[in-house]
Amino acid sequence: MEREKAIVDERRAGAAIPACLFAFLVPGAGHLYLGRVTKGLAFLGAIGALFALGVLMDAGLQMHLGFDDPLAFLRSLAQMALGVPYFLARAFGFEAGKVTSATYEYGNTFTEVGGLLNILVVLDAYDVAVGRKR
Amino acid sequence: MASHLLVLIVFSTLVSVVFAMLLREDRKARVRFALMTFGAFVLSAVVVGWLMYPFPS
Repeated sequence: MEREKAIVDERRAGAAIPACLFAFLVPGAGHLYLGRVTKGLAFLGAIGALFALGVLMDAGLQMHLGFDDPLAFLRSLAQMALGVPYFLARAFGFEAGKVTSATYEYGNTFTEVGGLLNILVVLDAYDVAVGRKR
Repeated sequence: MASHLLVLIVFSTLVSVVFAMLLREDRKARVRFALMTFGAFVLSAVVVGWLMYPFPS
């Protein structure tokens, strides 16, 4: 019995790393990997929509690394937490945004909150993988 | 999306869905939690906006 439990725990721990990695790369992918389809699709839809709408509202996706402007650094980290969509949007030329746009700050807020929510989703994927949550 | 209210509603809806999926396990509890979170977002924004109304700049 103890040995079976140890094997199950080991398997769960083994699933935790890829689940967290997938969850970080694409919102909801970690839960899809773990077979939690409803949760995965909900995260993919909601966080994906937050990011897409943010980009459509002219959000700035510039990468700011360094502590000369700590708030810009934290903002940039929050956006980077979206994983692949963030880097794809940058690669497709949506990096600069449009500072003069009326919805620029809304766009920034949408993309930053999407990234921060994705961090919570990664932690949730870990909890699901190790059996702490369903 | 130029309407502030529409942006508020869309934002509140999407964030409420994520919170509900993260913090509640069964479907009924999720729907109730999402509706409560959505209401709290919209209501608090309207109340704060109303309180700031006398100070436009």
